[in-house]
Amino acid sequence: MRRRLIPSGEATIGPFFPPRYVDAGANDLSQLEDRKADGEVIEIAGTVRQEDGTPLDNLVVEIWQADANGIYRHVADPRHREADTKFFGWGRAATDKEGRYAFRTIRPGAPEGRARHVNVMLMFSGLMRILKTTMFFPGEQANEADPVYRAVPKARRKLLVAREEALGRYRFDLKLRGAHETPFFDD
Amino acid sequence: MAYVIVPRHERTQPLRIVPGYPQTPWRNPKQPLVRRPPTLSELTGPSEVAKRVKLLGGDIAGHGEAQAIGQLMHLKLRVVDEDGTPVGGTVVEIWQANGAGRYIHPNDDEHAPVDRNFYGAARLLTDERGLLELRTVKPGAYPVPTKDGWWRPPHIHFSIFGKVWLSRLVTQMYFPGEPLNGQDRILNAVPDTAARARLVARLVPPTGDPANALVFEHQIVLRGRKATPSQP
Repeated sequence: MRRRLIPSGEATIGPFFPPRYVDAGANDLSQLEDRKADGEVIEIAGTVRQEDGTPLDNLVVEIWQADANGIYRHVADPRHREADTKFFGWGRAATDKEGRYAFRTIRPGAPEGRARHVNVMLMFSGLMRILKTTMFFPGEQANEADPVYRAVPKARRKLLVAREEALGRYRFDLKLRGAHETPFFDD
Repeated sequence: MAYVIVPRHERTQPLRIVPGYPQTPWRNPKQPLVRRPPTLSELTGPSEVAKRVKLLGGDIAGHGEAQAIGQLMHLKLRVVDEDGTPVGGTVVEIWQANGAGRYIHPNDDEHAPVDRNFYGAARLLTDERGLLELRTVKPGAYPVPTKDGWWRPPHIHFSIFGKVWLSRLVTQMYFPGEPLNGQDRILNAVPDTAARARLVARLVPPTGDPANALVFEHQIVLRGRKATPSQP
């Protein structure tokens, strides 16, 4: 067997990530090349704060999710040939001075063996490694059986569930440390 | 193609709370991070990211009257996975300070001059050999606004997508022989000596193409390897 190479060390994204890398429209997953994705358009928004509650400005948020039928646009998904060609599945946003981010996307379908969910990663000055978490939807029976949801200690699981503020409008606040700290994963 | 991602050796990755880096204690989780079983969701990820973001050319040093000030350099970057297999067709985002150590960014202050011929960003695709080339100027060192005289050594930032969600990487590359490397709090946050050494580029003999440029080579290893087919 070939010797395995060791993955490179991570580093902070620092304070100088070029603003132009947060492309206009990169936070809108509801369409691809001017074609509307299948499914119900939803909004996911929230505020990112550090331990003392200070909102964090210019923090990069990325998401990755399945399409309306729970299929990933990626060769490893056995159903990828049936994936919605009008849905890209990935998006990027940056927080504003009040620490707010927002995405427009479509409600993901539940992939096999999982509850419907959105993968979230955070990159920021002072974060030496990417922080990864997963957002779940409220009122979903499947959450309790989801292997990622269940990996989190019971008392903290509700912090992974977004709040539905209005029909199709979800709020998912992220706290990097301290009271109400978002559960983050170490893979 | 199924990809496998296993936990990394902790010492090859940076500490999350870094002595002398004042923001880190406020922003890194206090609770233990949660180990989870990888599922298809984390072992897939965006492909063809160039459909969603705009690529920017790999010649950022400028030419003639519009050439940036600084030592011209050429970087040959190779992106591979843990099998050593080239990761082709992936988006690599690059950003760096100018020759005087100044970024074009609202967060940077007036400590050093802007170079009107240098913005310092390139967004490129690796080719099928996992390679990309960048013609730039060597970034300058710069002071970090802490009270105790921390300077960042010359370095270049990379953000790379890779094949799956868990192979996403943000890292920095350093230059060989820089006296500030030994004191840098970000580079030295990686406990393992060999892992730190792998973050430093290699100076290689100049090829003459492009002309008058120092040539550096660097390899980045993304997480992930091909799954071994299970025995029948």
